[in-house]
Amino acid sequence: MASNYTTPLARWARFLEIFIPGYMFGKSWGIATDVTVDLYRATFPPFLIDAAEYLKGMLHTTNENLERLVATSAGAVVGFLVIVVLAIVMHFVLRDRKYIDSLRFTSVTLIPLAVMNGTLSHLTNTLLESLGGGESVEALTKSALEGPRGQIIMFLVFYITSIWMLGGRTGVKRWRRWGVIAIGIGFMVTYFACGLMITTGEWEVLLPKLQAALAAH
Amino acid sequence: MNITKERFIAINKYLILAAIFIYLIGVFTPVKYLQPGLIFVFGAGFFCLLHIQYFCCRLKHAAHIWMFPLIMTIVSFGVPLSKEPGVNNILFYIVTLLLSITPFLLFMFGRTDEKPGKKERLPIVSFRTVVQTAFFMGWASVTSFAFIKGTRPDLFFWAMFHVATVALFPFLFGRVICSWICPNATMQDALFKNMDYKRPIEKLPQAIEEQSRTSAMNISGVVDKKAPYLPFTLLLCWFPLFFTETVFDLTKIAWYPVVFMYGLIILSPLFPWRKMCTHFCWLSSYRALAGHNSLWRIRFNKSKCKDCKVCHAEEVCPFYIDIRNQDNEMPASCCLCFSCMEACPFDGVLTFRRAPEEKERLRALGSSA
Repeated sequence: MASNYTTPLARWARFLEIFIPGYMFGKSWGIATDVTVDLYRATFPPFLIDAAEYLKGMLHTTNENLERLVATSAGAVVGFLVIVVLAIVMHFVLRDRKYIDSLRFTSVTLIPLAVMNGTLSHLTNTLLESLGGGESVEALTKSALEGPRGQIIMFLVFYITSIWMLGGRTGVKRWRRWGVIAIGIGFMVTYFACGLMITTGEWEVLLPKLQAALAAH
Repeated sequence: MNITKERFIAINKYLILAAIFIYLIGVFTPVKYLQPGLIFVFGAGFFCLLHIQYFCCRLKHAAHIWMFPLIMTIVSFGVPLSKEPGVNNILFYIVTLLLSITPFLLFMFGRTDEKPGKKERLPIVSFRTVVQTAFFMGWASVTSFAFIKGTRPDLFFWAMFHVATVALFPFLFGRVICSWICPNATMQDALFKNMDYKRPIEKLPQAIEEQSRTSAMNISGVVDKKAPYLPFTLLLCWFPLFFTETVFDLTKIAWYPVVFMYGLIILSPLFPWRKMCTHFCWLSSYRALAGHNSLWRIRFNKSKCKDCKVCHAEEVCPFYIDIRNQDNEMPASCCLCFSCMEACPFDGVLTFRRAPEEKERLRALGSSA
């Protein structure tokens, strides 16, 4: 079956299977604006937003579409790097194959978390619209702190299921299959520990700032 | 009148084409008028074409199906969909009435020599065709409402479509959207498949054709332990959908989902049946990729396969997957249409659950997906 990889299009397909989830996983980190950057820092791990902002700063442009291209690409680069690092850890378990195959395994299984990031970014934008629409502070607090919880749980379940299923489908055997699950759970715990989701303390600081920023706009 | 299978197909086909013509004039020109019965003409026509083998030898049953658009057209005489309330376009009404009454009369009083097929349709395939038809009618309704009334209920439809097909279905059933829900799939399965004309792009370049063969051969299970991959051209189509959507902020433009779907419907007849879906569908590219992780797929009990080749990829599978090349289940590119399961003449080869001896065989090989 290795001969299947020799066709040029198959090689490029393999590349896209690695690249597309990376792009989807990270693009939300790059799309913050001056008004929303604090909210994104609270929603996602702040160092990831800062890394994307740093990359965006290197390629500043005044064209709106180009700026969006740079912003999403900056996020995508950071997302891709996270996947590369996670794949190194995965490769400790998946040593029976090449690193590129471990990378592809990591990338494809991460799609549920990529969709989760997109959903969180969408909820953040909705939150801002509600804030601008004059919704009560209680309702805003509820939607900021409790709104994403159900969806996050659903995508985390999908993520673990994805690792398990793709592990079986790609011939990850016995203890290795439990090993990749353990790494997946470890990654999720790290992601939360780094600052995924808005905490009550963050929201109390953030709300007056956002109200002031929106009033200024 | 003797209605052969060919005539049965032709009657339904040309009636749908006429209905599409009326629909496009009513919705996308300044006429802005639609008789709701027309949506049911689509429904009845598509349903009959999706069940040709059953209905062509049971014309009375087909006539009963065509009774729905007839009744709906009569009932909805006073409540057409128009921009200005109270407008009644009698010409549109008569045309819609003719479109529904003609097949009804032909099938009710026609006779046929066609004999029923030996194999009954699988219940799940019948259910799929009902879902397909219903979704097409829903999509045609909300789109017409949006363009005639100027409000956008179709955005809600697209939002739900997006949530279901991005966040939920790919992780449960893979690419199920491509055979159960997509309006373009319904158009292709019912209409374009039954149209005999020379396709402008009859054959794709060898390199593009080959990629689906290789992906069909090496995707799942112990056949290829390294990892699956999908056709490159299909994955590339992810860019127009997600990349340009973000960069050009298309989500704020109301007509963008309509253009994306109509684009697919316009381009699909250029290719042979479902080649567009297999190689170039921008709505399906992400779903196929996410489908690698899907929880549930059709199982293939290889040890029970008699290699009779009835499930021949070119004729049965919309996505040209040769099931006999799989080792334990359908690949990520499968759209769960169950056509292969329906075609297989033997019990237990393609199943929902894996046979115990197959479990043993896979355990010995070291895979348990």
